[in-house]
Amino acid sequence: MHGKASKELQKEVIDKGLCTLCGGCTGTCPYLVVYDGRIVRLHRCDMSEGQCYHYCPRTYMDMDAISRHIFGAPYGEGEIGSVREVFLARSTDQVIHQKAQDGGIVTTLLSVALAEGMIDGAVETKLDEEKNPHGFIARNREELLECAGVSYEPSPVIQAINRLPNETTEKLGFVGLPCHVACLSKMKLSPPTNRANIEHLEPVIGLFCGWTLSHSFHRFLQEHFDLAKAIKFDIPHHPEHSFDVYTPSGKESVDLDEISPYINKACGYCFDMTAEFADISVGSGRAMFKGWNTVILRTKVGAEILDIAKGRNAIEIQPIPDESLANLKRASLDKKKRALKNIISMTGGVDDLLYLGISQHLKEMLLE
Amino acid sequence: MSAEDLKKEPLNVIIAGVGGQGNVLMSFLIGNALVRRGYVVTVFDNYGASQRLGAVASHIKISKEGLQNSPLLHEGDADVIVGIEPIELLRNLSQFGNPEVIAVANLRPVYPIGVISGEVEYPELDEASAAIRRLSAQAWIINATDEALALGNPIYTNVILMGALIGSGVLPLDVMAMEEVLKEQLPKAFEINKVALHRGVDLVKAG
Amino acid sequence: MAHIEIDAPGTTQLLLGNEAIARGALEAGIGFATAYPGTPSSEIMGTLAPIAKKMGIYAEWSINEMVAFEAASAASLSNIRALSSMKANGVNVIADFLVNLQMTGIRKGLVLVVCDDPGGMTSSNEQDTRPIAKWLNIPMLEPSTAQECKDMTKRAFELSEELGMVCMVRSVTYLSHTRGNVRFGRLPENKKVAHFDDFYNIDDPRQSRYTCGMQFHPYKQSEELLKRFAKAPEKCENSPFNSYRGPEIPELLIISSGICWTYAIEAVSILGLQDRVGILKLGTTWPLPEGLVARYLNKSDKVLCIEEIEPFVERSVMELAASLPPDQPRPTFYGKRSGHVRAWGEQNLNLAIQSIASVMDIPYTSRQSQDLEYRRAAQAVAQTLPARPLTFCPGCPHRASFWAIKIALQLDGRNGFVTGDIGCTAMGMISPGSFQVRTYYAMGGGVGVAGGFGHLGQFGFQQPVIAVCGDSTFFHASIPGLINGVWNQSNFTLAILDNSATAMTGFQPHPGTGITATGDPGKKVSIEALCRSLGIHVEICDPFDLNTTIATLLTMMRDEGPAQVVILRRECELVRERKEKRNPFRVYVNPERCIGESCGCNRLCTRVFSCPGLVWDRDAGKAVIDEAVCVGCGLCADVCPRGAIVKEAL
Repeated sequence: MHGKASKELQKEVIDKGLCTLCGGCTGTCPYLVVYDGRIVRLHRCDMSEGQCYHYCPRTYMDMDAISRHIFGAPYGEGEIGSVREVFLARSTDQVIHQKAQDGGIVTTLLSVALAEGMIDGAVETKLDEEKNPHGFIARNREELLECAGVSYEPSPVIQAINRLPNETTEKLGFVGLPCHVACLSKMKLSPPTNRANIEHLEPVIGLFCGWTLSHSFHRFLQEHFDLAKAIKFDIPHHPEHSFDVYTPSGKESVDLDEISPYINKACGYCFDMTAEFADISVGSGRAMFKGWNTVILRTKVGAEILDIAKGRNAIEIQPIPDESLANLKRASLDKKKRALKNIISMTGGVDDLLYLGISQHLKEMLLE
Repeated sequence: MSAEDLKKEPLNVIIAGVGGQGNVLMSFLIGNALVRRGYVVTVFDNYGASQRLGAVASHIKISKEGLQNSPLLHEGDADVIVGIEPIELLRNLSQFGNPEVIAVANLRPVYPIGVISGEVEYPELDEASAAIRRLSAQAWIINATDEALALGNPIYTNVILMGALIGSGVLPLDVMAMEEVLKEQLPKAFEINKVALHRGVDLVKAG
Repeated sequence: MAHIEIDAPGTTQLLLGNEAIARGALEAGIGFATAYPGTPSSEIMGTLAPIAKKMGIYAEWSINEMVAFEAASAASLSNIRALSSMKANGVNVIADFLVNLQMTGIRKGLVLVVCDDPGGMTSSNEQDTRPIAKWLNIPMLEPSTAQECKDMTKRAFELSEELGMVCMVRSVTYLSHTRGNVRFGRLPENKKVAHFDDFYNIDDPRQSRYTCGMQFHPYKQSEELLKRFAKAPEKCENSPFNSYRGPEIPELLIISSGICWTYAIEAVSILGLQDRVGILKLGTTWPLPEGLVARYLNKSDKVLCIEEIEPFVERSVMELAASLPPDQPRPTFYGKRSGHVRAWGEQNLNLAIQSIASVMDIPYTSRQSQDLEYRRAAQAVAQTLPARPLTFCPGCPHRASFWAIKIALQLDGRNGFVTGDIGCTAMGMISPGSFQVRTYYAMGGGVGVAGGFGHLGQFGFQQPVIAVCGDSTFFHASIPGLINGVWNQSNFTLAILDNSATAMTGFQPHPGTGITATGDPGKKVSIEALCRSLGIHVEICDPFDLNTTIATLLTMMRDEGPAQVVILRRECELVRERKEKRNPFRVYVNPERCIGESCGCNRLCTRVFSCPGLVWDRDAGKAVIDEAVCVGCGLCADVCPRGAIVKEAL
């Protein structure tokens, strides 16, 4: 075992600026809380083995072990993780389309799963009045719709899972960013104690992510917009270069360059753009396929839900053009290379890759 | 009333306990009874800064005549030590005890904060009992708190132990002397305290 | 408990040193007594106040020592004998007034009783009041027994009148808090009439003698003071409180005073040196009875001074020796200066034995070293005994306040900190208060220091500062610091931990309680009304409402504005318990829900929160309530992360 807990979490993750604020370490114990965009240690915990440290996606991730557990094979060397199928998809549900960021696939898949009784609800991110994101358990279609759309700020959504009563038998789907999915993948590999049964959490739907914006961005938003009126946030793809806030009266934009100083430093050390340990990963169709989602199907669980959604005509599908797939792979590979570079520059050597437990071969390949 | 000769000069008593257990009242009552009998008494209640739950040790020195003694017992110089709390008794036995010392013990622990927080362990009560016997020439070990609870309130613990101390015959005081002082100092609660006092005496006489 | 007011001359009572001081004041016929609570002095007023009305005395717990002593002086100036009592730190508070009062002198006997705390067992330091007496030319009496506490206090009033100046009596913890036999004297039957004689007289317009400076040049007043004080040595010379015990020509002369004299007497006796060592006891330590001391200095070539805190007598005797005739042989001095007496902390019998044995160069075999086998067994047992460190009482509202403060500071995350103050709240600097108090000096010091921190912004200082004081401390010395902070726009939060009592010293009333020392109704001073009159933001929280308290503190810390006040108000549990005589809640642990040491709790209640009413059952791996200790406040139920601690209203 690692022999580490919250003190080491602070030293090795938080103080080093690696924390993605996923909420994996909070909600289950009285020592760690999310407050004002930070993980705060309230009291001294002297556990020798803390789950906070263990499940943090920025402490050691044995990629092979996790991959074996989820996919039955060691961690591969592809750019976008373990893949069964990649395609473009969008919802056929117009209500969902109105709320959704791109093709509405996430909300649609969960709606279908809920309607079919495959899940009792889903752990999602919801914005409060002030548009602060937080974990939320949606248990009906209305609540699922309330969670549609994107927040660009980090959401400690795992906290909502940690807070579930131990004895709960609810089956819940999950939607989160790659860091959330990474945290869950560690939990699935060695299930936590004194918390809800992690096996009840599926499907895990991952969202593509380049980076999130730090909590200080929220203050920027508060200063520039009437957040209570905001309906949706968007960063449209190239060639556009703006951050858009949609309100009932229309769209307001700021130049993307104004936003970039608020990008979470921690995201620079993230290796994963496509939520590689999810059952299904979903991203935007980008400029070429506006209103569509790019979907990566990774597991049998994911396939079951997709099949049902297809069977009910809840979604429509088209193949992804080679060029789009290549772009996706290149973007994902770029993120890996950038993360590796940043990690090495922090540790000062290729032997210490912080949390990243990848094979020597993959490391060498990425460093070339 | 003129004082009788003491078996030792001065005769040294310690009452050890924890803040809130009634140490100070006990030393006050015994001290007053002794002064009434004509002794020169020095009583120091060592309780530090705590209102509750700190270690308290009342040092009583009894002389037939002469001047007030220095406030604290000399190390290893106690003739009798009463412990309202077991480890406070042991703490005082280990510092002020000697092969001839007599111990009167209540076996009800009050846990220090370090025990509560798990940094240190409280000795097993069997071990504490054995240690009390090991460090005394004679020991009366009773469960005064349970006896007090039987009388309706743990606050009688100290008077029961006071009865036990009187019953042990170490002090130049009899039950009558204590009754007089109790009547004077605790007139409203005299009857129940008298019962508690006698209970303590009987416990010692019995065993 | 003791009845100091009984008119039974010749009877012997068992009195605390402090009670004996009060009795001495009664026998001296005082009419006026004032004090501010402070261990180890509190029982003096604590004994006088309840009987004051019966005895025709005005007794007052004052807002602070300065006001107490000033008020007592007024009685003296109006022909009423007056007593003021305080702990050593209090003398610092009255120093300015005291210096100036010495310039004018007094009229009727005025006695200042100061209780020093060698070792600082219940104090922030262990300062010695005797050098202050010497500095200000104030006669100083040092009793050694409860009997002397009474007798010297009575004598101090006479001396004060004979010399026309305030007179000091110095006690120490081990004297003030030790009961001893006291033989009562007569209570005087004096009719007291107060009148201030030096009022303005139209036919004799002149500066009052009870004023300093102006036409009375301070240097002239100093000259008058020295003249008055010049009569003091002869009074001390013949004082019955100075005595000698020992052989005509001792090999070693011990000079001692106060409680240390009892150690010296017993130490010489234990060492069997009664025929070789003499002990000169000084009851009047300032001024020295020079003739008496000089006579004994002449008899021995070794002098050992045994005293507590400062080498005060030692230095004074050495000064005297320097002025002896040149043909008189000089003894060798042993004491704190030479390292033969421990220079810090309180003295005790063991130390006195060691000091004497080392000067006499004789071996000392303690009883302990004789019973080797027993000692070994005792040591083995002692090693297994857990210590019993200080903690907040069960149910103490301060535990909640510091819990909230700690969480608020952690959440705020800007390395904020607490500046602390004297009283029960000072325990915020040790584990029961989660070590939150980071500076701690003097009454009122918390808010004063915070005011300074709050002005460091221009140097890049961004840490939030929370000054903490108790309610009694707020009235005592925190008000000027708060007003200064408001006036000068300093950025800090003052948290007044209002438990409606001067708890640390034994629940004396203060202006916020609306009750006076004699139990009469006074005007209740509202802390919040007083603070709001400054035009600042004032909030009142119940510290047991942890979430509201935390949120309020966070808001106040974030506010960039000037000083703000949060009153964390909940009655001291010991006061509540006395009044209500029952617990508010039945509290118990549901073992099904308690996860104990597991990840997710790790014994938050017993390991971190650490209320003594909760106990860790190691065998069961669960927390349990100790019903003999728990007072049913229910706070732990709000702290438990698993809902395992249940509180049911009773």
